[in-house]
Amino acid sequence: MRNLIDFLWRHSSWIVFAFYVVLSCVLLFGRNPYQRSVYFSSANRVAVVVYDLQSEVTSYLGLRQANRDLQLRNGELEMEVVNLKEQLNSYRAAAGKDTIPADSVLHDYDFVVARVVNNSVAQTNNYITIDKGRAEGIEPEMGVVDQNGVVGIINVVGEHHAVAISVLNPKLRLSCKVKGSDYFGSLVWDAVSPRYAVLEEMPRHVEFAPGDTIVTSGYSSVFPEGLMIGVISDYKKQRDDNFYALRVKLSTDFSCLGYVRIISNRMKEEQDQLEKEARYE
Amino acid sequence: MSNWLRYLFLFIVMVLLQVTIGNDIHLFGVAIPFFYIYFILRLPLSLSINWTLTLAFVLGLTIDIFSNTPGMNALACVVMAALRKPVLNLYTPRGEDYAEAIPSIRSFGMSLYVRYLLTLSLCFCVVLFLVESLSLLNVGRLILRVVASTALTFLVVLGMDSLTKTGREKRL
Repeated sequence: MRNLIDFLWRHSSWIVFAFYVVLSCVLLFGRNPYQRSVYFSSANRVAVVVYDLQSEVTSYLGLRQANRDLQLRNGELEMEVVNLKEQLNSYRAAAGKDTIPADSVLHDYDFVVARVVNNSVAQTNNYITIDKGRAEGIEPEMGVVDQNGVVGIINVVGEHHAVAISVLNPKLRLSCKVKGSDYFGSLVWDAVSPRYAVLEEMPRHVEFAPGDTIVTSGYSSVFPEGLMIGVISDYKKQRDDNFYALRVKLSTDFSCLGYVRIISNRMKEEQDQLEKEARYE
Repeated sequence: MSNWLRYLFLFIVMVLLQVTIGNDIHLFGVAIPFFYIYFILRLPLSLSINWTLTLAFVLGLTIDIFSNTPGMNALACVVMAALRKPVLNLYTPRGEDYAEAIPSIRSFGMSLYVRYLLTLSLCFCVVLFLVESLSLLNVGRLILRVVASTALTFLVVLGMDSLTKTGREKRL
């Protein structure tokens, strides 16, 4: 017994070393990113104080660019409203009715505006911290967008802050399609440049050209259909030859995120429940 | 006691600087300066290895929590802290005695400190980026990131150490 204690004592540094290495590995591989505790994320109480202070200082930077993007977006939306109004009027005239029932799909989504307090593009697995949390109705798996396009999906939620997995994170796969067609593939970041991602598994017979717009497919319950993701810049065949991999220039500028919107889907629970049931039948 | 306070102060300053400034720097799209490891590099060599490992783990985990990478920095810090003395022994074969020293340019001399710092920051970056690339392996980019980040970390820490050196001399 004495020898054993002596032995352990002499080699205590190895034991301590092994203990910390194992502990790190448990933290690294033990959890799936969606089940992480809020205390081990940047939405914990101490971290958000630091990041709130930092963002108080840095949120003034890049406002000119953000303002220009918003003006552009506003202009586009105004044009769209005018066009849609005209179309609506012509349909009304054609149908001889005063009112046309609006599509109920549009009423399922709601949004909350939040400020980005921390954001990274330098890592392989990037995350975004925002200043709205459970108290403001944020839940995990809600979609995050800004004025230019899709940003990410909420991952860990604290009381007044939340962490979102950025599109710039290989753990996130987004279902999306070429605007105007119904074929979809999944978008994933290849960790090379924060301006580009890859749209995989696009069937070869789909017609597209560089410059075409990529939008969300609406097949997952996270994002509604048709949100801007980026434009095709390049494409090549995938290894198995039946699919194309498209290089997509992301429309969101991740290096200067200011304010974002968090989209909530009222029908999400129902859709998820149904899909789960179908899978286990 | 005042030594403990000084190290506590260094710990807090390093964490704050790393998470507010260091992690946002992304030079040429590849290089990140991990200058917070200066805290571990600077721990006195007389400190027991168990304490060094514990402090390294706590520091790494703190950075991890701020940057949403649980375990990644902690693992790299612990490995680097364990290699501190072996690396030093490697470069001082003539039995020069640094057992009581606080590693710095002044106590080690420029040439030994440069080798100590460069080797350990390389070890740190290799472990860190290997772990990071487990989710997505790209060998060319991995090597590029390791080399570039090691170089940037090395330069920033060398700069910080020469700053604290002048500070110390003024105080004396």
